[in-house]
Amino acid sequence: MSTVSEPLVGSSRSLSATKRHKSVRKNSRRIYSAYQDHEGSSDDEDKDDERVDSNDPEEMFQNIQYQKEIIANIRTRPWPMRRKLKVLKHAREIVLKYEGRLTRTRGYQTAGADLLKKLSRVLYNVVVLFIPWEVRIKKIESHFGSGVASYFIFLRWLFGINIVLTIMTGAFIVLPELLAGAPFGTTRSKTIPKEHLASAQDLDTIWSLGGYLQYSVLFYGYYGRVRKIGSAGYRLPLAYFLVGMAVFAYSFIILLRKMAKNSRLSLASASDENFTFCWRVFCAWDYLIGNPEAAESKGAAIVNNIREAIVEEQEKKKDTSLAVLISLRILANILVLLSLAGSIYIIYFVVDRSQKLEQEKPELTLWEKNEVSVVVSLITMIAPSAFELVAQLEMYHPRTSLRFQLARVLVLYLGNLYSLIIALLDKVNSMSSAVPVNPGNWSDSSAFLATISQPEVDSLSTLVSDISVSEHRNSTIATIATVLDVTNSGRSSAGTSNQTALFEKNTRSQQDQCWETYVGQEMLKLSIIDMIFTVASILLIDFIRGLVVRYLSDCCCWDLESKFPEYGEFKIAENVLHLIYNQGMIWMGAFFSPCLPAFNVLKLIGLMYLRSWAVLTCNVPHQQVFRASRSNNFYLAMLLFMLFLCMLPTIFAIVRYRPSRHCGPFSGQEKIYDIISETVANDFPLWFSKVMSYVTSPVVVLPALLLLFMLIYYLQAIARSLKFTNNQLRMQLQTERTEDKKKVFQMAAARLQAPEAAADKKPDQQESDVTSQEASVHTPSPRRNGSVTNFQSPVRRGNSIRTITQSASRAELNRGSVAGSVRSPAVTILPKHRLEHIPNRPPPFLGGPGGTCRSKSYHHMAYNPPARYPDNIHSDPLCRKTVRSIHPVEAAGIITAQSYGGRRGHTTRYVIVNEHEPRKKLLRSATRIPRHYLMEESAEILELYPRNIKRYAPRNTHHQPHPHRSHPSQQHLSEEEEEEEEGKGRRRVSLGKAHRPRSLSDLHQPAHFYIGERAESHVSMAKDSRTAQRRYGVQEEDEEEDGEGEMDWGDLESHSRFQANVRGADPLLVRTRRHIHSPGRHFQSPARTRPMESHVKPKTRPKLETPLTESDSASLASSSDQQNSSTDQYIQVIHNKERYLKSEARQGKLAKKKSKTGFDLNQSESNDLVSSNV
Amino acid sequence: MGNKQTTFTDEQLEAYQDCTFFTRKEVLRLHGRYRELAPHLVPLDYTNNPDIRVPLTLIVTMPELKVLCSVAGQENPFRDRIVETFSEDGQGNLTFNDFVDMFSALCETSPRELKTIYAFKIYDFNRDNFICKEDLQRTLNKLTKGELTPEEVTLVCDKAIEEADLDGDTKLSFADFENMISKAPDFLSNFHVRI
Repeated sequence: MSTVSEPLVGSSRSLSATKRHKSVRKNSRRIYSAYQDHEGSSDDEDKDDERVDSNDPEEMFQNIQYQKEIIANIRTRPWPMRRKLKVLKHAREIVLKYEGRLTRTRGYQTAGADLLKKLSRVLYNVVVLFIPWEVRIKKIESHFGSGVASYFIFLRWLFGINIVLTIMTGAFIVLPELLAGAPFGTTRSKTIPKEHLASAQDLDTIWSLGGYLQYSVLFYGYYGRVRKIGSAGYRLPLAYFLVGMAVFAYSFIILLRKMAKNSRLSLASASDENFTFCWRVFCAWDYLIGNPEAAESKGAAIVNNIREAIVEEQEKKKDTSLAVLISLRILANILVLLSLAGSIYIIYFVVDRSQKLEQEKPELTLWEKNEVSVVVSLITMIAPSAFELVAQLEMYHPRTSLRFQLARVLVLYLGNLYSLIIALLDKVNSMSSAVPVNPGNWSDSSAFLATISQPEVDSLSTLVSDISVSEHRNSTIATIATVLDVTNSGRSSAGTSNQTALFEKNTRSQQDQCWETYVGQEMLKLSIIDMIFTVASILLIDFIRGLVVRYLSDCCCWDLESKFPEYGEFKIAENVLHLIYNQGMIWMGAFFSPCLPAFNVLKLIGLMYLRSWAVLTCNVPHQQVFRASRSNNFYLAMLLFMLFLCMLPTIFAIVRYRPSRHCGPFSGQEKIYDIISETVANDFPLWFSKVMSYVTSPVVVLPALLLLFMLIYYLQAIARSLKFTNNQLRMQLQTERTEDKKKVFQMAAARLQAPEAAADKKPDQQESDVTSQEASVHTPSPRRNGSVTNFQSPVRRGNSIRTITQSASRAELNRGSVAGSVRSPAVTILPKHRLEHIPNRPPPFLGGPGGTCRSKSYHHMAYNPPARYPDNIHSDPLCRKTVRSIHPVEAAGIITAQSYGGRRGHTTRYVIVNEHEPRKKLLRSATRIPRHYLMEESAEILELYPRNIKRYAPRNTHHQPHPHRSHPSQQHLSEEEEEEEEGKGRRRVSLGKAHRPRSLSDLHQPAHFYIGERAESHVSMAKDSRTAQRRYGVQEEDEEEDGEGEMDWGDLESHSRFQANVRGADPLLVRTRRHIHSPGRHFQSPARTRPMESHVKPKTRPKLETPLTESDSASLASSSDQQNSSTDQYIQVIHNKERYLKSEARQGKLAKKKSKTGFDLNQSESNDLVSSNV
Repeated sequence: MGNKQTTFTDEQLEAYQDCTFFTRKEVLRLHGRYRELAPHLVPLDYTNNPDIRVPLTLIVTMPELKVLCSVAGQENPFRDRIVETFSEDGQGNLTFNDFVDMFSALCETSPRELKTIYAFKIYDFNRDNFICKEDLQRTLNKLTKGELTPEEVTLVCDKAIEEADLDGDTKLSFADFENMISKAPDFLSNFHVRI
């Protein structure tokens, strides 16, 4: 098809093709069809040029826009690169060439856009360089597939989040405190107590995060409580609080956004449909895998998978010893629960013990200090493997067991974290409650003393120094108050041992009392220990094991690699869970230890390198890879869950506990969040605090809450209904699709049967046709003028006898008419149109001039019709008569339409005369609607008219003359009818109304119309037989063998023709509004219209193609198979077209101006319909 | 970016970037890879679009086929099919354009529709625009390296067709295929190749 057509079709077609692609991208199926028909003709895009009319800036602009669209979307087209390059080059040239002709501003605009595009591309090129670990991840991906890589991508994503968190805390808390806050050692909370000073630098102390580390920016306790620091008056406490909250807020937002994006990406939401086998076959292979071992295991996994599916399919339910299984599962769950409870108890116990130890023993061993975190980390390490062992008891399907495993591990992690934090908070509770109650007076007074003592020591001492010393020595007078006493005792080393001891104890408890620091310490410790354990496990479990397996397998009696130790598997799910757990720790501790995110960043970096190294060196991928794409959101959901649960304790602590008094930014406040109200009260104008108080009063909050709930409910309801409609639509789509397919399938089958069946059925059917026609005649007649109908029916029968001669003459006449039309003065337009058609036509026709082709086809018709369809032929005389009779009656405009029909059908001379006249009139009168001309003309060429007239004639009572002429109201009516009517027959009727001028034609052939499909098909075939199908059908009958080859040609031709028809209409709609605006132009200058048509036509083609093909096949089937199958097929065909019609009709409605054109479309398409049906 | 040795003109690079999903650097890297395949055949200078094809046999037999071994994969059972699908002559001889095209279509950012089309082509062994039973069998055999018994293979083929075939013609048209693939959860993540 491509090669021959290329030169002729040339520019217009290629253009249309590209255009087609543009519209097609939305629907991949359409893409495919496009791609199919382009496959052969790879070069037809090459001459991609549009005749740009330099006069028309609008057109030019559109063209340029269009070209630009090509440039923008070219990468998504399934063309070979060479073609893409060519098209691209060409499009660029056009843009360059014509852009200058546009107005300046447009030129600048586009230039600016170009520049922007270039810049963004450069930027993108640069940015890509900075995505961390891209190469590394790609390498892993190429070795182990997307599953393993998803872990690393997740890791990288977490890394990104932590970076942001670090920046937030670093920039707004840590840095200001370091730069502007009181320096180390200046205040009590920032100095290391004396008795700890000696050990503050011990590795031991540092390791347990005591000493210098404890009194550093790492922890909450270090931050000053001064409301404003630095010269700028930075409100550190406020910032601390806000950042603490912002960390959570940011995490939430980023998580939710990511999840939303993911869910948008995955179309797989429709999970009710299962293509188990297909997916396993077509989607199983991970094209990323490049490593032989990975490929091997993947292959094995796929085989397993398929086998599994087979087994499942064969015996859907294998209830082997259900009782045992159930009991086993119960046992397993009990075990898991026990281990969970045990782990929680152990953690609680350990925390408790460490607390007691701390109180009892002044010196703690290394083990005792790190007990808690070590135990927690151990549990998190060991328990998952234990769970896995337990899971083997259960004998679940691997995937469900993986899910169970994940859920359990998650619960375990959460339980660990929770029991830890609860134990800690418990401790905090006892701490904060013990201090005031137990030595209540003491602590208070001492605290007071302590705070006062340092700043005031000097002044006091200066005042009282002399006296005090003496007094102290004497110790007789206690008048000066204990204050002095204590201070002095503190200062003088000679003070009583009791007092100093007391004081020491007080200060210590007072510093330890900083529970926030304590919690932060524990979390950081946990994080560190966790890191150590991770590293250790990677080294031991993976690396050493890998080494052993690889190098000792030779000297072992069994195969280490495949039997017992094997290589460590990379358990994606568990590792991801571990990441989540880790992140949970960070969130939990971030408020109390602002540097935790920073630490986590380091940890993640280390983890990334270590893991990737380990994976590449000593791991094999997990056999049961958890689906990467689906797991993405699964992981994220877990992360979200974790975030929420980790936020709770922090929030709880913030709300529930008093901040410790002597350390941290909130010391001295009743609650941590008081900082907000305090700030509002002090630093904002009065009205603001007033407003705030109103806003926060229950009167406002409660309704707001209610509103929120209502909103949530409403949105949920909407979501539910959307889901419902979504489901319905999907079902509808599917049923429709399947039905369509089935129809096509049937048709194909019918086509196969056709040759045999055709011969037998013909005679019978013909007879039946006659009868049916008669019957039909009666029915329509009442609607129209009764007299006319009656008159017709007899005539018809009589005609059937005549038919032979007529048909023969017709064929000749047709030929003659083609030639004649060219000659005829009035028909100046015709030749041009023909020319247009020719290029569009597929190659076979191109070879010969259009006339010959047609004549050929006519010949066929000519032969056949007389023999077969006498009935059909009789219509001709009727037409003539009708034409005559009507002429006087109808207005000139109407006549034109009729005349077309008449001319076509009979090609009698006088008809021709009629044609010319009306045309002239039309041309003149039709200035309104130039497209109309296009359509009609094309129709003429196709010569579809006669047929239509016959068919639709009966219904012409409604009579709509050609749409353009018809009254707008009528048009609307018809459109509506079309939409409403579901019954095919009725629709047809409506169509008929729409198209048909209520001409004489109506009169003569009402019967066909009513008779239904068969009659029509016969008639149409016999009569015009100009449409390819008819032709084809005829041919088939004549020469069944040859039919095959010719069929195709015929199809092609019919395509082109139909397309042409439709095109004529479509262009008007879609493409060229200007034409509509200036209808006169086209008409007047046929030369101009031509190019327009040419681009326009090809464009419409893609849409029509499917229906056309179907209809073709349908028509083929019907022609060959005759009436039996024809009804069904017919229905189906109409069905398809109906859609188009409707849509177009709607379009037409949309734009008023277009409405007429849309109508035309309907007409033209209805013509198609008719022809195809026939 | 002034390159020391101009492999492509800026214009060419722009065009490639327009036509593919690659950045400039990636295009250059692709060329490097391509050249690695057959250094004596492929010139460094591509400014005048030499028409050079690296034949499939060469691509497959050469030991240092880093790209195709590690990417499209020696391990990849569909390696030959991929290469054939993207070669313009259908024989598996790749010009550089085909080469770039191949990786562009298979890269991460290419849309699902495009991938679906090419996936269909890859699985359509006999190029009749349908995935028929024979295609499926070949696919399966490639995938499982013949580890399944013939009965199993036929069973799977029947089942697969039964599942996805909407029109009951016992073969999968593109529409069927697309419908099926669009619901597959990991088609997108699996059907791509890194360079």
